Amino acid sequence: MTFPLSRRQFLLSSTAALAAGALGTLPSFAQAANLRLIFWGGQARADRTYGVVDLFTAENPDISIDGEFLGWADYWPKVATQTAGGNQPDIIQMDYRYIGEYARRGSLAPLDAFVGKDLDLSAFDEDQLRNGTIDGKLIGVSLGVAAGATVFNTKVLADAGVEIDPMRWTYDDLLNLGPKVSESTGGAMAMAPDGSGIELLFENWLRQKGKALYADGQPAFAPEDVTEWFELWTELRNAKAIISPDEQAIDTGQLETAPLVRSKSAMNFTTSNQLVAYQTLVPDPLGIAIFPATSPDSKGGHYRNSSQYFALSSTSASPEAAIKFINFFVNTPEAATILGVERGVPASSAMRDAVTPTLDERSQMVVKYIADLGEIAGDVPPTPPASAGEIEVALKTKSQEVAFGAQSPADAGPAFYDQVIQTLGRSS
Amino acid sequence: MTDAPMKLTVVGVETPKWRKQLTSVVSHALLIGASILMLYPLLWMLAASFRPENEIFTSASLIPSSWSIDAYFRGWNGLRTSFSVFFTNSFIISILSVIGNVFACSLAAFAFSRLEFRGRKIWFALMLMTLMLPYQVTLIPQYVLFRQLGWVDTFLPLVVPKFLAADAFFIFLMVQFFRGIPKELDEAAMMDGAGPWRIYWKIMLPLSTPVLATAAIFTFIWTWDDFFGPLIYLNKMSDYTVMLGLRTFTDSTGTSDYGGLFAMSVLSLVPIFLFFLIFQRLLIEGIATTGMKR
Amino acid sequence: MSIQNVASAPPSAEVEKVSGWRRIWQQDAPGYLFLLPWFIGFFGLTLGPMIYSFYLSFNHFDLLTAPRWAGLDNYMRMFTNDPKFSASMRVTLFFVVFSVPLKLAFALGVALLLNRGMKGLTIYRSLFYLPSLLGASVAIAILWRQIFAGDGLVNKFLSIFGIVGPSWISNPNYSLWTLIVLSIWQFGSPMIIFLAGLRQIPQDMYEAASLDGASKWRQFWKITLPLLTPVVFFNAIIQTIEAFKSFTPAFIISGGTGNPINSTLFYTLYLYQEAFGFFRMGYASALAWVLLALVALFTAFSFLTSKYWVHYDD
Repeated sequence: MTFPLSRRQFLLSSTAALAAGALGTLPSFAQAANLRLIFWGGQARADRTYGVVDLFTAENPDISIDGEFLGWADYWPKVATQTAGGNQPDIIQMDYRYIGEYARRGSLAPLDAFVGKDLDLSAFDEDQLRNGTIDGKLIGVSLGVAAGATVFNTKVLADAGVEIDPMRWTYDDLLNLGPKVSESTGGAMAMAPDGSGIELLFENWLRQKGKALYADGQPAFAPEDVTEWFELWTELRNAKAIISPDEQAIDTGQLETAPLVRSKSAMNFTTSNQLVAYQTLVPDPLGIAIFPATSPDSKGGHYRNSSQYFALSSTSASPEAAIKFINFFVNTPEAATILGVERGVPASSAMRDAVTPTLDERSQMVVKYIADLGEIAGDVPPTPPASAGEIEVALKTKSQEVAFGAQSPADAGPAFYDQVIQTLGRSS
Repeated sequence: MTDAPMKLTVVGVETPKWRKQLTSVVSHALLIGASILMLYPLLWMLAASFRPENEIFTSASLIPSSWSIDAYFRGWNGLRTSFSVFFTNSFIISILSVIGNVFACSLAAFAFSRLEFRGRKIWFALMLMTLMLPYQVTLIPQYVLFRQLGWVDTFLPLVVPKFLAADAFFIFLMVQFFRGIPKELDEAAMMDGAGPWRIYWKIMLPLSTPVLATAAIFTFIWTWDDFFGPLIYLNKMSDYTVMLGLRTFTDSTGTSDYGGLFAMSVLSLVPIFLFFLIFQRLLIEGIATTGMKR
Repeated sequence: MSIQNVASAPPSAEVEKVSGWRRIWQQDAPGYLFLLPWFIGFFGLTLGPMIYSFYLSFNHFDLLTAPRWAGLDNYMRMFTNDPKFSASMRVTLFFVVFSVPLKLAFALGVALLLNRGMKGLTIYRSLFYLPSLLGASVAIAILWRQIFAGDGLVNKFLSIFGIVGPSWISNPNYSLWTLIVLSIWQFGSPMIIFLAGLRQIPQDMYEAASLDGASKWRQFWKITLPLLTPVVFFNAIIQTIEAFKSFTPAFIISGGTGNPINSTLFYTLYLYQEAFGFFRMGYASALAWVLLALVALFTAFSFLTSKYWVHYDD
């Protein structure tokens, strides 16, 4: 009983809103449609997105699109409320974590029936299609390829006399070279932030060891792996290669709290599509590298994620029109040029070729990074199980307990593992 | 700081002039010191609105390395819809809320504090209960309700509850103040044949200027500052309020215009501060009970 | 006669004598008429969602599919098997116990100071209210970091005395205190209410007392404080309820995480995470009703004891 409102009821009850012009016109022609589109992002993303919307509606005058965008933190409660209230927008931007939650509960429509007809994904990368597939059904259309990446301050590293090989650098490098950064800055900065609480980095490290976060909805790692992980970071911490727990805890996920932005560390562990955003807040030129490797030739840790997707509401009144827009969004060179790589590198090879020459230097770096990653990257992992989001939060909290000395790595490993088992058990 | 005022009030009745002056100097020194401490964060924000973007998070100084009012222009038109629209919307919602809240809540408060009727205590308790439930859990059922009424995407969900005294805080506040108004006044009026309405209108309201002004100030400011209601109920940017516009400025996952954020944050404070300045006079003028026989 | 004294709860004998419709009209109708707007709002807008959330607290409800009956599961889990519940309750109680009295004392102190009719009163009052204007602005999170981070203003000040402070805002031992300071910093609302209360005290009472030779100190204890008790009572109740429900400060400053190590995981923040982060609205509703029960108990207790210390004019 998701507050069931029949369409008839909905139309009746929204007459007042109609009077206020809220819903625009009712579809009076077969083709005409009024779509609602919602996405998270800042004004920069909105400008690009609306640019494409304007282009689309100019070509399709019978379709109108009302766009709405919000910051990440406000976005999810609003989408949840709208969905629960039976008022979901037609096209919803989704994140890899939430898309599973919404899809498995039937709030998003499978797109398989449209593929090859109104939705042309022939030029799409195979892994991008797989990322958007949940339980065998295509749910999300990838809006950009992104991968785990280390973004670093080239000037600080150069000043400290530290040089890393962007595609081959290792945790040993961090341990051995890290103290130099601390010395050259008089202790004001460390080479890296404390990455022990970053799930993406932990997953990368596990994958390099031939393991994974999840397999078949169960953890694919052992308690000892967690202990080893925390011990690795304790060693780095003791060597002053990374910042103090105090400084790390200031990072609450917002860009402006990142140690790299606050001039506390020379790098940040993030995703490749964030490079441009970081550059606007850091005066020195930034570079991009892989997550540290366990050995210089280690492979398979990285994978080509999708930064975000467009998904179709299962309650959309005009799915054809919505698909038409999504197809336009990901398959038109004009649209690709407007969008750039702001959402990540285009998932379609044709669009990549169209957009690359138009990019600025920093964006070119991102495209090159994704391309170079090809040889290192492994398969994309399966969609995380429900409650994976809660486990991500738990890892952060556990990492802080270890960093602040409230729990030893030896105890934290089994403790975290138990938490994972319990959380996964609860959701089923 | 907390016990300072107590000490200051100890000063005896027959105070020599120099002591009065000393007290005054000490009081001002304390107040000025406290003001600076209180205001540093706001001054920092003001400075941030004038400084270069990449200096905002790396400098604690109050003086920007270079000054620019660029952020104000950038911010004002930084979103698809200009801030003049947001300000207009915020004004409409806030003013209507003030009118609704002051009127509806004072009616209810009059009933609770001056009228005798069966079930009064139960209703009062229920009213207080509405204050205690975290809004996060009533959000979705309320959304469904407003949607069935066809009110989503309009200002109605934000304004109508104010005309229906939905915020128990203000009823409770007014009850406490109404009870401080001498009962002899209503009794005298009753002798003259006045009914409840006349007592409410002719005695209670005029004598309650301080609390009504307080309610007006709080309603205006809190409505202005509220973002969760507008976030949930308003979908079109042309309906956005200032606070919602401000929140749209930053997105933790991408490029954000922080200079514009701070510039608009500063501007967003201006109307509520002015409203406060104007209405706080009523707090002072409302010494209606002075000289009244008790 | 319809006008009755609040304190004299049992209806007077005169009222008892009237009966039937006439009595209802004369005795009850005015009260209900004045409450009419509130009744419409209460029954039309507030009560339904409240009851529904109570119903949900006995269900598993993931927001997107139909609620499933869970009986007492949610409540059982809360009290037997949820370390985050107890952690968030501890954080919230700590916050209530320290922030409410400090904020009220501060607000009352400043209000008294500002009520002395000194020059520049308007300016000070306005300046002191300014921080409260900020509300839940995103800017606050950034401001607070500027002050309480490792290289923030507080530590710059301490370094003058050779003290090297921690990063207050992100150290689990101190982070909650920075939120308490934030709560006190925004003391404007209770201050204004205290001021309005002080304005309601008739000046001639002080004049009479002065003539009797009572000191200012004595006047404060014998006149100001007793006559102010209804307002003190109000502020104490409201601030306590608000502190229990406190959400925004922790939400904006910890970015919604409640970290470091759950040291700022306020009760309602945990509730919010459960509801919108982890899709457990049923459990969140149960959390909400436990909070309501707790706060209602506290409020009822306050009302019961109020007759011993709150002085109404009636």
